[in-house]
Amino acid sequence: MSKKSITLIVIAAIVVLLGGYGCSSYNGMVQKDEAAATAWSNLQSQYQRRADLIPNLVNTVKGYAKHESETLENVVAARAKATQLTVDANDLTPEKMKQLQAAQGELSQALGRLLMLTENYPDLKANENFRDLQAQLEGTENRINESRRLYNESVKTYNVGIRTFPANIMAGMFGFEKRPAFEAEAGAEKAPSVEF
Amino acid sequence: MLTRKPTYRLLLGFLLLLLPFMARAEKWTTETLPMVHLQDARRFVCNPDGVLAPATVAHNDSLLQRLLADKGVETVVVVVKQLKGDDPYEFGMALARKYGIGSKKQNSGLILILATEDRSYQILTGTGLEGTLPDAICSRIERRVMVPLLKKEQWDEAITATLGSIDGYIRKDPSLMAEVDEAEDPMDALIGLGLTVFFGFLFIGMLVLFTHNSKCPRCKQACLQTVKSQRIRLQGSQKWYIASTLRCPRCGFEKVDTKEEDNGLNGGGIPPIIIGGGRGGSFGGGSFGGSFGGGMFGGGGAGGRF
Repeated sequence: MSKKSITLIVIAAIVVLLGGYGCSSYNGMVQKDEAAATAWSNLQSQYQRRADLIPNLVNTVKGYAKHESETLENVVAARAKATQLTVDANDLTPEKMKQLQAAQGELSQALGRLLMLTENYPDLKANENFRDLQAQLEGTENRINESRRLYNESVKTYNVGIRTFPANIMAGMFGFEKRPAFEAEAGAEKAPSVEF
Repeated sequence: MLTRKPTYRLLLGFLLLLLPFMARAEKWTTETLPMVHLQDARRFVCNPDGVLAPATVAHNDSLLQRLLADKGVETVVVVVKQLKGDDPYEFGMALARKYGIGSKKQNSGLILILATEDRSYQILTGTGLEGTLPDAICSRIERRVMVPLLKKEQWDEAITATLGSIDGYIRKDPSLMAEVDEAEDPMDALIGLGLTVFFGFLFIGMLVLFTHNSKCPRCKQACLQTVKSQRIRLQGSQKWYIASTLRCPRCGFEKVDTKEEDNGLNGGGIPPIIIGGGRGGSFGGGSFGGSFGGGMFGGGGAGGRF
């Protein structure tokens, strides 16, 4: 074998290796991207599930607590605001994320106030239908939290995947961008601080 | 006001006596809680504080074993006095995340938690079980069956009645099916192949070693060769032996060598291969450790305080 052909073989081997690395790294990024998008849509469906439960809850409470119309209206308004805001996983920006988080947080707070208030109505608390709804709502809140956690986890995996060297070169070439994650709930900032 | 000293001393003595009992009321975490199913595939009820009577544990273990066999629902029951953090929901979710309770395909895991001194309880359903046991149903079981008994501090009755009720709901759902052992993971098969090749070589190597190391005692020239090998069981013995007939190719000297079977390595066959990642526990009759299937929990279920 001449020197020339050896050089050719070496170059060909390097090209094949680089190509193989590029393909697998690209596919890995696509997979992580898809996982994050799926986690996002799961979360959206949990938000939707909560929104679907609210009319039923409001109607049930209305029958027992007629004088609490303000709280009930707040819940309905917060629900309307939250359902209007649906963001597709692919055009998520940190700003949109913040808006959505604020709207859903507002709904959570309005719901919390409503449920607090129901404590004052023993007849309502004894209503089986109401208690079923309450259990469903609590379960949905739990599901939302769990979905948010899973979304954040998948975003973290994806972000680390596209930002570490040398994958970041590939990510830049193919336009993989950093995805926003959820930050701590607005209410969490107000958590009482422990002082000694 | 403690004016009478003897009473005070008596009280102190009494408290000192109580101390070891108080120390035993551990605040369990997912790390410290012993998972009985991992030690014994037939057990599902974790009762580290001994809140439940042994008979209750045995009864519910067998109920849950049947439920797993018939419907593929993998259950973990945790009955303790106290949980660290006093949050049965978080505890259950952490447990589910740590062990992957429920099959990966059906996601049919189920967790029931009762902390008697925290006075809290929680049912958690795997994502595949949310249709069979919606949150409202879990909540109804708790309200109608569990809580009335918990309020009377009848822990055994509460757990048995709750599990009985859950069992009823699950058995009514025809969509849940028993887990069928499917083909193993390709990775497992690969590992299996690797092990077979490894042990195959080991076997051949030992055979070569065996035949070449025994020189003929008569002519002391050539090595004895194995011409026949039989697996026999001596009378009155439980063990298997390998009887090998060795012959000298030079002078024709023959002798029979009998030795205890060594893990089947000399048995002439491929040794049994243990492939990891068994699904949903094994029911071999012996007390084999079980395993969990890797199921997901999405936060479904219901809980509360009594």
